Amino acid sequence: MKIAVCFKTIADYGRLSDNDWVWDERHFVDTSFVRRVFNCFEESALEMALKLSGTSKNGSDTAELTALTVDDRRGDLFLKHLIAVGYHHAVRIQCNKRIDLRFNSLAVSDLISTYIQREGHHLVFLGTQGGNGDNGQTGFLVAERLGWPCIREVTAVVTAGSSERLKVTSRINGAILVQTVQLPVVLIAGHCLDSPYLRIPTLKQKLKAKKNQVTILSNIELGLDNDSLVNNGKTLIDLQRPPVNRPCVFLEGKNARDQAKRLYDEYLKKVFT
Amino acid sequence: MTLSRGAIVDHLKNMVGPERVITDEQVLKENSHDRYKKFETIFGVYTNPIPAAVVKLADTKQVSDVLKFLNGNKINAVARTGGTATEGGLETIVENSVVLDGSQMNQILKIDPTNMLATAQCGVNLGELEDRLREQGYTAGHSPQSKPLAHMGGLVATRSIGQFSTLYGAIEDMVIGLEAVFPNGQITRIKNVPRRSCGPDIRHVIIGNEGALCYITEVTVKIYKYYPENNQFMAWALDNMKTGFEILREVMVAGYRPSVARLYDVEDGAQHSFDQFAEDKCVLMFMAEGNERIARATAEGIVEIVGKYDECRSIDSKIIENWFNHLNWGPEKITEERELIRKNLHIGFTTEVSGNWDCINTIYENSLKRIRADFPHIDDLTMLGGHSSHSYQTGTNLYFVYAYDVVDCKPEEEINKYHIPLNALVVEETLKAGGSMVHHHGIGKYRTPWTKEEHGSAYYILKGLKDQFDPNGIMNTGTIYPVEK
Repeated sequence: MKIAVCFKTIADYGRLSDNDWVWDERHFVDTSFVRRVFNCFEESALEMALKLSGTSKNGSDTAELTALTVDDRRGDLFLKHLIAVGYHHAVRIQCNKRIDLRFNSLAVSDLISTYIQREGHHLVFLGTQGGNGDNGQTGFLVAERLGWPCIREVTAVVTAGSSERLKVTSRINGAILVQTVQLPVVLIAGHCLDSPYLRIPTLKQKLKAKKNQVTILSNIELGLDNDSLVNNGKTLIDLQRPPVNRPCVFLEGKNARDQAKRLYDEYLKKVFT
Repeated sequence: MTLSRGAIVDHLKNMVGPERVITDEQVLKENSHDRYKKFETIFGVYTNPIPAAVVKLADTKQVSDVLKFLNGNKINAVARTGGTATEGGLETIVENSVVLDGSQMNQILKIDPTNMLATAQCGVNLGELEDRLREQGYTAGHSPQSKPLAHMGGLVATRSIGQFSTLYGAIEDMVIGLEAVFPNGQITRIKNVPRRSCGPDIRHVIIGNEGALCYITEVTVKIYKYYPENNQFMAWALDNMKTGFEILREVMVAGYRPSVARLYDVEDGAQHSFDQFAEDKCVLMFMAEGNERIARATAEGIVEIVGKYDECRSIDSKIIENWFNHLNWGPEKITEERELIRKNLHIGFTTEVSGNWDCINTIYENSLKRIRADFPHIDDLTMLGGHSSHSYQTGTNLYFVYAYDVVDCKPEEEINKYHIPLNALVVEETLKAGGSMVHHHGIGKYRTPWTKEEHGSAYYILKGLKDQFDPNGIMNTGTIYPVEK
């Protein structure tokens, strides 16, 4: 089974202060001084794929894993991390710098689906949305382009009898749905309290991974010219930062017991009953 | 005659009121640990004897009454405030111990801008004190990572240090006066004066006693003018730690006092994401602060010194400023860490030591070499590195940082398989090279095998304090002083 997990890295927006939210004439916020992190949904997808593949720290593998990102060279460190934890291939698609991919799911899905078709993968795993564009469309568009079925809000996946069938758990509208599906399929990891964290490589694994190289492909090498990727039918006019203040109520009471009772009676009871 | 668990609880309730004596089993279990056994704690495993009660103390008089009772009945007392200790100092290793919780003694008693002093009860959270000071344009100058959670009593009891120590000093440089209660119930107050020559400095009997001699109830610390607008960050990437130590030394010896002076090796830097800005490099950083002229002169002096080293490449100071502003550990980071540990069976710890300039690089290199050579589970390690974060005229500290997957062992076996042996290798190499085995966490209960070696012939003085002030040995048994079998 050939599995491709598509991920993106984003700036750790929690570390930007109010004053840092300033954008240039192309509407790019300068985040060059902030660390980047795995987008959380894809971090879960990356770990779920590792578990599915059976890649363990003793090196026994049952599937071929590819980590794929569309990024500039800053993505390489993350790809090296993924090689160290057990990904067999690390691929970065480098696009022309003038192509703004933040709100361009069409272009991203073109790049991903073209690569998947070229390499003959059976399973594509990605996150539900990125922290910078919040489009929530790429996974569905990839499935459409590939003509594959798609399951969203995936929280767990295991093989079902054979390597060509998967048992996929997803959470839709508060319900847990378990489906057995035939490959190929696109899986979209959603948010769940039980979402796994990506494992951390051992020193030995990091050392071993240094020998492996990241494969870099340009959009041109994938047969996609710059103009076809730029033209997504949308023009970014302006950015606005949504207010982050949440409504707040101070619960007053004679003591903590009284306050807790009010919290339960006035708020929690409605949620839990 | 030894009192039963029930009798201890009844006596305590009579003394302080039943609402102040907690016997809920889960609370007792949580009070038998500190962060040294965080792996066990997360999995709900508690192997220490569970204390008889946690007493929520209201005032100094209650501390005195309770201690007198415990001393008279030879019951082990464990002092506790914020609960952020990392070295087992809060563990209850004796049956029917009583945890003396000072977290409700939480009043800021006085902020005195004329004499530049702040007085707080032991249960005052440092973060709250700092917020109050900053409202008035002052700072305590003390900023350990635990600031959002730690309380003044515990900070003084463990000889804590903060991230700005190179300018402001450690807690012992800040404490002017104290109130403390000894096990016989004696309440002592050390007055607040700028300096005196009236015999030995008795503050130091109390500061750093880790609850093994007395109970700290009130602290008076210095305060400083706060000039955040003058903060200047500087950072460089460099190839090796030895050069970094040389630069740190040169800066300190030249007389500059940056508030922050830190040197990270490649591995430790990577876990702070420095590899995203300086891959495979060590990182050296400084912050100059304070009065505008001093801050500017400090920054210029440091830039001049580092400029002499061709190995150093400047890093955007905004990277370091942004990172530094998110370094503290509040409840949200603790929760996140717990989740990571629980889901991935992966955990990290530190061992902090110190040494003079002539041996610090030896300690650094030998400790790492020794772990790589002698630690039997090296394949489970995911991170092994270190940094220096507190420098002095005469030397600096080293924070060894290690993380590992917990493989094939029960939660209660984790410390014996990993943490204790790793800690031991660092301590042994540090003592061998002439350094100190603990820089600022306190000895707690897991470095006591080396307390005598650490102090050498001066252990006579340390032992004398215990004999004098806690002759019944009821104060936090097994902390600082090894349990003699």
